[in-house]
Amino acid sequence: MMNHDLIERYVYAVTRHLPSKMRSDVEAELKSLISDMLDDRCGDVMPNDKDIKVVLTELGTPLELAGKYSPDNDKALISAPYYIKYKYILKIVLLVTAFGLTLGGLIDIFTETEIAWYIVFTRWIGTLFTGLVMAFGFVTFIFALFERKGIRLDAMDGLEDLPTVPQKQERIPFWDPVAGILVSVIFAVIFLACPQIMGGYFGDSDRQWIAFFNTGAIRSMWYIIIAFAVLGIGREVYKLYEGRYTKRLAILTVITDSMTIVFTFLFFRNKELVNMRFISEMQNLFTGDAEFVSNIFANLSLFFIGVITLALAIDMITTIVKAFKYDI
Amino acid sequence: MNKDEILSGFILELRRGTIILCVLSKLKIPTYGYNLISLLSESGITVEANTLYPLLRRLESQGILESTWNTETAKPRKYYSTTETGNEIYIMLKKHWQETVQSMNTILEGNNDES
Repeated sequence: MMNHDLIERYVYAVTRHLPSKMRSDVEAELKSLISDMLDDRCGDVMPNDKDIKVVLTELGTPLELAGKYSPDNDKALISAPYYIKYKYILKIVLLVTAFGLTLGGLIDIFTETEIAWYIVFTRWIGTLFTGLVMAFGFVTFIFALFERKGIRLDAMDGLEDLPTVPQKQERIPFWDPVAGILVSVIFAVIFLACPQIMGGYFGDSDRQWIAFFNTGAIRSMWYIIIAFAVLGIGREVYKLYEGRYTKRLAILTVITDSMTIVFTFLFFRNKELVNMRFISEMQNLFTGDAEFVSNIFANLSLFFIGVITLALAIDMITTIVKAFKYDI
Repeated sequence: MNKDEILSGFILELRRGTIILCVLSKLKIPTYGYNLISLLSESGITVEANTLYPLLRRLESQGILESTWNTETAKPRKYYSTTETGNEIYIMLKKHWQETVQSMNTILEGNNDES
């Protein structure tokens, strides 16, 4: 008796992952092939189990054979032109994520007084793991999407479109965006995890730590802090990717910087944000001649909005000027 | 990677394109896969079934081959033959192959003194 069961199992294992419209045809053809191979091997003698095993082994493992049949045989999630960039971006994203989460973990260890350090430590390991997996998944997803949609990462329509070799001053050095990313990460971690470490000691006899921000108010605006970080990191990643000052980078900078300004307004509009005790203590320090400084503290939110807007405006103008100077 | 592995990799690459030409050359008459393997092996070309069968299917989906199931015999078999397009492609491919062989021979014979 022929071991039909083994053949059936083999054929099923090959065809089960194939597209349904080719499945039954491949199944019939495979069975006729196996039967031909057995006839060839055994002639008129009834093939035994060993013959069947030899023939099926010759055909290869079911998954190998299914791979050869599959129309997706040569496809990859992320293939050649994307893979180089993918590896590059992934490395940076993972490093930055690990850095941010480690910084958060360290702050946690030093500020957490009620829980034993090893619990905080294990918590950090857990967060690090989840964070890295998420970062990996996110970058992979984006690039898989590029691959699938065939989005071009470089203008390669013709040789004329090849970018010129950037001169020294139009190149963006590697450390510039990386530093930018780290600053964004540090900012987000400190504001989200421990805004209370920004503050000062006040009082002559009984020195007391007074935080600059109201922790509760900051926490309630967590989404704005995330938005700051995402805008900043997004811009810097693009800068890293571009590697030079271009008009595209200038446009992106104008967009992200303007959005950051809007978010800055939203952030400082919150009356609860700044700790009034801090301001009154500060005003006590600067009296008399230093009334100017005292005034600044009275209108601290406006002062911050002004400084940040100015800094972002300078950033926008520099990027635009450089883009028009170098990207012709 | 040792020498044998590198060599077998090169041989595989060389063979890959030639198999299509072999297949097309034999399929003016409708033939089923396993018979095609024996036909080719008679001419000294070994093709594994697990390479040939998926290849036949791919060529069919490209419109180079067409197929019919012959159910009249005791064992139903799928017969493949070249389409009109397939034949045209075969003729051009064959011409290209002959030119390549000629050039290759010139190149390799020129190097005879080195071997």
